[in-house]
Order: sequence, then C-alpha cells, then structure tokens
Amino acid sequence: MARTAKRHTRRDFLKESAALAVGAGAASTLSFAAPAVAQRPKLNYWCYQFLKESDDARANFAREWAQKNNVDLHITMVPLKEFLPKITAAIEAKATPDIVESNAVELRARGQLLDVTDLYKKLEKTYGGWVGNAPKIMLEPDGRVHHIMYGFQGFMLISRDDLLDKAGLKPPPPTWADLLVYAKKTQQPPRTFGLGIPLSNQTDAQVWEDMMKSYGARLADDKGKRVVLADHKPQVWEFLDFFAEVWKAGVLPPGVTTWDNTMNNSTYQAGKAVFVLNPITISLWLETNNPELLAKTGHYTYPRGPKGLIQPVTFGSRSIMKYTKVAELAKQFLWDSMEPGKMDRESGVSQWGPVLKDYLKFEVWKKKPFMKGLIEMSQRGEPQGWPDVFNDAWREQFTNTTISRMLQRIVVDNWTRDKAFAETVDVLTKIYSKYA
Amino acid sequence: MAIRHRSVAVTLPAPARPARWPSVRTRESLGGIGLLAPTVLILIGLVLYPFFYAIWLAFTDKTVGSPGQFVGFKNFAYVLAWPQFTTAVWNTVVFTVSAVAMKFVLGMAVALVLNQQIRGRNFFRAFLLLPWAMPAFVVYLVWRWLYDPLSGLINYALIDLGLIATPIAFLSERSTAMLSVIVAHVWRNFPFYAISFLAGMQTISQELYDAAQVDGASRAQQFRHITLPGLYHIIGVVLLLTTIWTANAFEPVYLLTGGGPSDATMVYTMLVYVMGMMNLRLGEAAAVSTLFLPLLIALVLAVTILLQRKANA
Repeated sequence: MARTAKRHTRRDFLKESAALAVGAGAASTLSFAAPAVAQRPKLNYWCYQFLKESDDARANFAREWAQKNNVDLHITMVPLKEFLPKITAAIEAKATPDIVESNAVELRARGQLLDVTDLYKKLEKTYGGWVGNAPKIMLEPDGRVHHIMYGFQGFMLISRDDLLDKAGLKPPPPTWADLLVYAKKTQQPPRTFGLGIPLSNQTDAQVWEDMMKSYGARLADDKGKRVVLADHKPQVWEFLDFFAEVWKAGVLPPGVTTWDNTMNNSTYQAGKAVFVLNPITISLWLETNNPELLAKTGHYTYPRGPKGLIQPVTFGSRSIMKYTKVAELAKQFLWDSMEPGKMDRESGVSQWGPVLKDYLKFEVWKKKPFMKGLIEMSQRGEPQGWPDVFNDAWREQFTNTTISRMLQRIVVDNWTRDKAFAETVDVLTKIYSKYA
Repeated sequence: MAIRHRSVAVTLPAPARPARWPSVRTRESLGGIGLLAPTVLILIGLVLYPFFYAIWLAFTDKTVGSPGQFVGFKNFAYVLAWPQFTTAVWNTVVFTVSAVAMKFVLGMAVALVLNQQIRGRNFFRAFLLLPWAMPAFVVYLVWRWLYDPLSGLINYALIDLGLIATPIAFLSERSTAMLSVIVAHVWRNFPFYAISFLAGMQTISQELYDAAQVDGASRAQQFRHITLPGLYHIIGVVLLLTTIWTANAFEPVYLLTGGGPSDATMVYTMLVYVMGMMNLRLGEAAAVSTLFLPLLIALVLAVTILLQRKANA
C-alpha cells in the first residue's frame, strides 16, 4: 500500500516559521545578553576642521581618550564654513551630536547648549586662571558659561619682511596709513601685490570693519541695541578717504571682491602678497611646506588707526549640546581635553594661543618666533566686534559682511559714499531692531 | 381539558447568512488603494508636508532650535525691504533665462553633430556626458581656478595670444561676473540637453529626411520642418525640468562668487542660504522661498504654454 505523504499546508508552514523565529529571537537574546549589559556609552563629537595637523592632534587625542575610557566615540570632522548649515539640520532633525567645536555663540543665544559653569570654574581654579579676555568671551551677563574655550586665534599682520628690508622699510608699519605706504613701495604687480585682503561677501572681509573702528566709528551703542553708525559719519568718512587711497593705489590684487576665506592664505603662500591679515595658519603651513618663505615672514599685531588699536581675537571652543544623554561623560571629555600636557603637545602644531595661564609656560611659545605675536594677541586681544557688543545682532551683521558690502557698493557699483552709507545704516538698523 | 399553549419568547439566532466576499469591483478598488497607498504616503511625507511646512514657516519667527511663533506677514515685509531682494529677483531671472537659452542652443548643436555618421561617434557621445557626471563641487572649483586673474589658465592664454595686456578678474567685475557664472553652469549642464535631444532625434524616421531630400529641402528646412517638430515633446520636458533646476541652482554662485562682487550674482538661493543657514533665521529664509514661488510657477507656465502652442500649431 502506498504511503500517503502528509500534506504540508500553509498553516503548518506558518507555525514552523513562527517557532523558528521565536527560537532564533530567544537564542540571540541569550547569546547577546552579556555584551548588552556591558554596552559602551556612545559619544558623538563634531571636531572643527581647518588645519590638518591641528585637527589630527585633537581627533587622535579623542580616539585615545575613548579607548582608555571604553567609550564608543564617533568623530565627524566639520569645516567651520559647514558648521552652521550642518548643526541647523541636526537640531531640526533632532539628531544632534553630544559635543561640538565651534564658536558656539549662535547656539548659546538660542538655548541649545548645556550649562558648563562648574567646569569653567574648576578649570580656572586648577590651571591658574584664564588668559586675557577669555572670561569676557565665555561669561554671560548672568554669570553662566556654555562653552569652554581651548584656544585663541585671530588675525595678525603677516608680512614679507625680506621685501620690506629691500625697500628700506622697517616692519611693522605702525598705522594703517603707514601700511598703505609700505605696500605701495614694496609691491611689484603683477608678481606681488601690497595687501592680500579680501573685499568680498566672506567673513574674512571683516578686517575692514576693524579698520573702520580704529578710525573711531561704532556700529551700535554700549548696550548693543541701538545703531549709532550715523552719528559717526565724520569718522567713517575719514576711513573711506583711506580706503579710497588703498583702492586707487592698486595694492589689492585683482579678484579680491570675490575672494573666499582661503584666498588670502593661498596668495601669501604663493608669494604674491607683501602683507596679509590672517591667523598664523599661514605660518604653520609654511613651516611644513615652505620654510624658506617662513624665514622671511614677520608676525605683528594690527597697525593702529587715528583713534587707537583695534585687535580682535576669535577663539575655538567646545560645547555640549543640551540634548545629550551622556552629559557627565561629555563634561569629562571637555575636562580631560584641557589637561596642560595634552595642550602642550597640541600647541606645537596648532594655530591656537593659550587660554589658561598654566599654558603660558609651554616651551613651544619660545621655540617658534611666530608664536610671540600669538601670545601677545591672546593676552591683549579684545572679543570680536569690540568696541561693539558681541551679541546676536552684531553676529548677524558680521555674517552679512555689512561693512565690506558698503565698500563694494562704492568701488564695484560706483555708488556715492552717501548712498552706500545710507544703505549700510538702514541694513544695520533692520538687523539690530530685530534683537532690540 | 384544553391545554393552553403559553407563548415563550425565544431569541433565535439570526439566520446565518452565507459569507460573502466583496464584489470583484470592490476588491479591485481596495487592491488599487492598497497598492497606491505607499506612494501617496511617501508623496505626502516627502513632498506635500515639507512644501506646506515651508510656507507655514514663512509666517513664523522660527530660528534654529526654537518652535517659532506666528508673526503674520512680518517676514515678508522684512524680506521685501531687504536691499538685496529685488536684485536677487532680477539676477535669478537673468541667470535662468540666459543659462537655459545657452544650454538649449549648445545642446541642440551638439546633438545635431553627434546624430551624423561621424568617426568616433560613440566615443564622443560618452565623452559628452563627462561634465554632467562630474561632481558640481569639482567642476566649479576648476572653473574658479580657470578664471583666476593671478594664476588662471584663461588669463594666461589671453595674454599669451596678445589679446589682452592685463589680466581680467572675470568673477570680480560687475560687467563679467554673471556671464562667467552662467558660462561655467552651461558647460556643466548642457550635456543633459544634448543627450536628451540626441535620443529624440534617433526616433525620427530616416524616411522623412529621405523624402524631404527628394523634394529638394535644404538642411535648414529639414531641421525646421522635421527635426524640430519631432522633438517638441522632448524639448518640452527638458525645458520644463531644467528651468526649475536652473532657477534653483545654488552651487555655481556659492562656489564661484558667493553672490558678489557686491550683489552682482546674488540669486535667490544664495539669499535663502545666507538668511537661513548663516543667520539661522529660518522664517525669513522661508519667506524668500515663498515669495519666489509665483515667479518659478510663472517661468514654468510660460515654458509650458509656449511649447503647447508650438506643438498644437
């Protein structure tokens, strides 16, 4: 008799599949139970990307730190230019990192950062206090702190001392007017141009605002609320006289009106500018790639204007996003990142000036001559925007490159001074009134 | 004795109705809805929601990280009074119309050449796609270097040929900046036109050309009366798509000029970027986008109507 095989129905198949799935699920739960208990905490770190050696040093430290502390670390290198678009998207998508390296001001004003006042005070107490205007930059009016600075940087006057020497000039030029004289005497266009300064819609063009302020102009009042530029018309006119001379003299290389923030670096590095205003990133690059040119290069604080010296400093800082689930771990990372031994190693390859007094003892400041200017700037430099208040309104006019645009109206669009000035006052008023 | 029957109320179960499947028509409808539902949901989630959300944002004071409060037309008033807004409108129109026209002419010319029996035709067809296939970032940085007044190849060549004595700052002069940006953009994007037109040309029957030739039609007449009408639908689709793409182009301006010199190349996408991404004021940025919506719709409608008339003529 033929044996009838039992029919395998669809229901049987489903039963078997379900049993298998349950079995597999249970097995995986059991087999992964042990690692799950010991799961490493995750930390997402957005690391500022600009100068390779410096970025590598910070990223390598972070990796070693993560290994030592058994942390699952994810590093994303973010160029400064991309930081705001990326963090905007991350906040809106609710997928923020735990730690960010940025200037933090925009995020602080929008309540996106964790309070780190305790860490600020601990660092101050442990490492001999903060250098220069670091407290002014970090402390808010209510005494709270939301970002920890790890380095000063800022624009310095970088000059071809060999060319100045040939022309019989002694660096540095003491005033902006002298700078123009030096530039005119030394340049040999089209091989070298006197001043490699952008006059474009990029934030590096902010140096023109600093110059204008050294002629006595102010954008807003002491509270940073009301626009007062119109009250400083005589000072602005004096500055515009100087600017007109600069433009007429042909010391600015062709193309400055659309330069991006890298062009002043590359122009100097290619030996095509006598003077540039830039952080020491240029010198660090030359140290590796063109030591001969570095030997011919001088580093100085800004020249003075008729009303004094305006030497702004910018900075690098770390903050913890308020959405983090590992706040204590992130604070620990910030604390360990500021340890003097680690900062000493990094300072040799970085563009950052010292922010804590214990850092001033590092040998590196003495070893490299171009670091002298960095120390001076760290100790004496004022926060960006000074004598204006560094607030949201100032920051927005800064990203709009308002003063550079006024100058472009005059030389690119051939507007009269009055018309360009009126538009600038109008734009500033519109911006500041939003934050009043 | 008479037995009286007492009536007892008994609830009987309702007569069991035979289980009925829905009608074929209903089943088909349900099946259709089931199949369409994922697509509709995706469209709602990825197209309609962001579209209306962006319009809603324009009416709020939303900044990054804040929910934003309804502010009525405040953002629109602010943006309309912003000095660069009217320039951005004009520049966007100039950029879009000029770039689309140049891409059209160049694309058509190249397609006509590559439609002939020439040596190495396949190689040239593949080669043609290169600019379009390259990342925009790379293309525009190369163009920036080409235009550079101090070390750019174009200036070197012009000086060497004795055509100019001093270098031209192509991207930094108001008179040349917009044209330079358009040329770079056209170079990168005309292959799409050429390939689309070429594909269209290959569907036109050779017999039409043979008959026209017998009737003594010149090349120009063949192009006008056979090629062009045969391509109307493709031209329509290509122009429609690329008008939208060109009006929304951001990389060429961002990477070549940043909207400068002054506001000579400030297009609306750049303005949105500055307001939204640099200043973090999403409400204002959304207002700029929303204000441009009618302009974009007008551009698209103009192209569509023009081509529809041609096709019907």
